[in-house]
Amino acid sequence: MTDPTVAEAWVAAPLRRLMDDARFISGVLLYPTGKAVGQFGFSNAADVMSVCALTSAINASARELGRQLDGKPFYEMHHAGAERQVFMARCASGGQEFLFVGVFDRESSLGVVEIYFEEFQKALEKLRPETQAPGIGPSGDFEGELNRSLDKLFGPLGR
Amino acid sequence: MKAALAEVVATLSHLPGVLVAMIVGASDGLIIETSPIKGGAVGGTDSRKHTAALAAYLYSKVTRASDAARLGTPAFMRLEAEQGQICVVGARDIVLVTIVTSDANLGRVRLDMMHAARGKS
Repeated sequence: MTDPTVAEAWVAAPLRRLMDDARFISGVLLYPTGKAVGQFGFSNAADVMSVCALTSAINASARELGRQLDGKPFYEMHHAGAERQVFMARCASGGQEFLFVGVFDRESSLGVVEIYFEEFQKALEKLRPETQAPGIGPSGDFEGELNRSLDKLFGPLGR
Repeated sequence: MKAALAEVVATLSHLPGVLVAMIVGASDGLIIETSPIKGGAVGGTDSRKHTAALAAYLYSKVTRASDAARLGTPAFMRLEAEQGQICVVGARDIVLVTIVTSDANLGRVRLDMMHAARGKS
């Protein structure tokens, strides 16, 4: 497994530890707006772009569904596939919310992922984002923000 | 079903030296049924969730090791630490996990855990 690539250096250490401890195959840390902060397990910027866009949309839908069904947003989501499982949850640092989505297989388990994600959340809470946190809502330049964050993770794609 | 699982946990947790008895999902490591921690959580921290997840994970690795060695399914797993022991017995989709003191009657714990596992498999 290669080291995480990050757009913001302060998340590198906790993301690396989460990847190692929970034995994730791949994962992305992002802002709720879809802007990527760090990733591991992906070699293709287009895949990360898809994951970010889908995670952002799923989070918005699940948050609203949670509000309607339970009076508050769902805390985490888990989908168990035949071979691989997807885990998605929120975390925060410096008052800024982040989303994490990760994929694991039989080399790990939901219980293991949950306990190490709790440690990741605590580690992140002790840190402070280096950059100015984006606003709560999308800036209106979703694609531009996403592309800029992907350029930081993978380098410019010759655009 | 729920009552039967609760009974297993209650029976195991009442054995001398057993601090906690839990029934845990074998594949996800999540607690299905658990007893309270005897004497309360050490340092005020409830470690049952962590212990359950990691014990189930460890048992799955031990199962693979046992299989690789062509020994078949492990019957009983015991992890001896400085201040106590963790015992694990598998029963198909679940694992029984107990945390016991160093001076517990391990033979009795083992016998009752394996008897309970046979009843669940």
